[in-house]
Amino acid sequence: MTITKSASRYLWISYTAARSNLAYSSEVIYRCSFLAVILFIFLRLWKVVYAASGSDRVGGMTLPQMVWYLVVTEAIYLSAPRVASEVDEDVRTGRLAVHLIRPLSYAGGHLSRAMGDRVVRFAINLTVGSMLALALVGPIPITASGLVMFLVTLPAAFLLDFLGMFLIGLCAFWLESTSGLALIYTRTVMMFGGMFLPLAIYPALLQPVLKALPFASMLSAPGVMFVNPSLLLLKESILIQGAAVAVFMLMVGVVQFVAMQRLFSNGG
Amino acid sequence: MEAKMFRSFVDYLRLCASYLRINMNAQLEYRGAFYSQVAAMFINDGAWVVFWLLFFTRFPVLHGWSLKDVMSLWAVTTAGFGIAFGLMGNGHRRFAVAIAQGELEIWMLHPRAVLPHFLLGSTIPSAWGDAAFGYVIYFGFVKPNVQQAAMFVVLSIVVAVVFVGFGILTGSLSFYLGNASTLSDQWRDISITFATYPPTLFDGKVKVLLFTVIPAGFISYLPVQSLRSMSIVDLLIAVAGAIGVLAAGVVAFYFGLRRYESGNLISMRE
Repeated sequence: MTITKSASRYLWISYTAARSNLAYSSEVIYRCSFLAVILFIFLRLWKVVYAASGSDRVGGMTLPQMVWYLVVTEAIYLSAPRVASEVDEDVRTGRLAVHLIRPLSYAGGHLSRAMGDRVVRFAINLTVGSMLALALVGPIPITASGLVMFLVTLPAAFLLDFLGMFLIGLCAFWLESTSGLALIYTRTVMMFGGMFLPLAIYPALLQPVLKALPFASMLSAPGVMFVNPSLLLLKESILIQGAAVAVFMLMVGVVQFVAMQRLFSNGG
Repeated sequence: MEAKMFRSFVDYLRLCASYLRINMNAQLEYRGAFYSQVAAMFINDGAWVVFWLLFFTRFPVLHGWSLKDVMSLWAVTTAGFGIAFGLMGNGHRRFAVAIAQGELEIWMLHPRAVLPHFLLGSTIPSAWGDAAFGYVIYFGFVKPNVQQAAMFVVLSIVVAVVFVGFGILTGSLSFYLGNASTLSDQWRDISITFATYPPTLFDGKVKVLLFTVIPAGFISYLPVQSLRSMSIVDLLIAVAGAIGVLAAGVVAFYFGLRRYESGNLISMRE
């Protein structure tokens, strides 16, 4: 009963975050137009590359698959909520104290809000991106099992990214500003996660290292699963995502515990 | 007449130097935050260099463009952006918001011309990271000779003029459309995005757009063409383009200023 009650609280937070996200249409238009520009530029880029290579496959993907891969990775990347800056602001303004007296876990509250936010943003991005990809390169074959595999890897990808950003936000207990760190984090995810270039295009020496890092689980794994699903890749992804989530959660727990020791609350 | 103009120019250079000193002193009150933002932007730009390094490792030539050309493109764009908004931080995202929120009054009360004075009013810390990155990558990676180095320095200033002009133009939309900050940011960000990819990817109508509505051609394509050819003619075309963008921005601002209505908002200069 208590668990159900507690879960419904967090679900309600997700729901309200999702609804409020829809209210800011200008931000949605901004994101979608940016997505369209990136897709257009990369379509031109890949067209040149495929024409020069003389092959219909680069990095194991056809041109339409490459564009759809980019749609998925971009949709995930651009759907990221500003968790780090929110946590940073909580710490800096002292709003954290208000959050702590609520009958909710601080991290859990942020997670619910971020997930509600992200699901809506991702759905919009994916819809717009898919329409653009359909217009630019046409459809690619998608199977029901492939779609299920993609949907299995997606929540863990969102969770991992949330934990990474939450950790950056908690650094506000020690740093004057975490905006720089957040920028570096997002660029690390972009580069090592294989957002623009599928990992198969990276130098052979780097590929196993990048696949083992958590960043590939955030972008590359769902992207490949969407365009080229395989059971082997699914098993690998679940294993890496599971391990990465466990490590990130442990880090969040430790950092939050240490950070709370530094928290002083004044009345007023 | 000429002597008066020269005195006025020198006077504004002094104002620029004073504001730079004041803005930097304000930023350095929070040294950790300032340096971390500068470093983060340097690393952010570096991530794109890594992307192009990886790309050219796999696909060595892109429609006649080599890695060196793309590095020049990134160097001149980031250096220009950094100089523009390091010196005139209010010309970036703040511009449209300040107009929409009726914050121009404070700047109108001073004996200086409103536009340059307002532009100089703040600095963007991360822009210094861009400026440093542009120069480091050009001198460290492209390894220019003396003529190329001199051309790069001139072009980085030319690109800065384009950025300031375009910032004024997009920000001035708030005079005509109300709060146009999102549209302004969108327009500018899309232009910058196009400017950081080789122009050989685009042709036909898109190229026309890139020299008109989306002035990526003036931000990077013309300057890089000048660097590649080392031609004075190309340099003059780039300079003319920059002056054109700046003039469009100034005209949009002063026409818009006529429509500006003062409110009863009490505000302070940040």
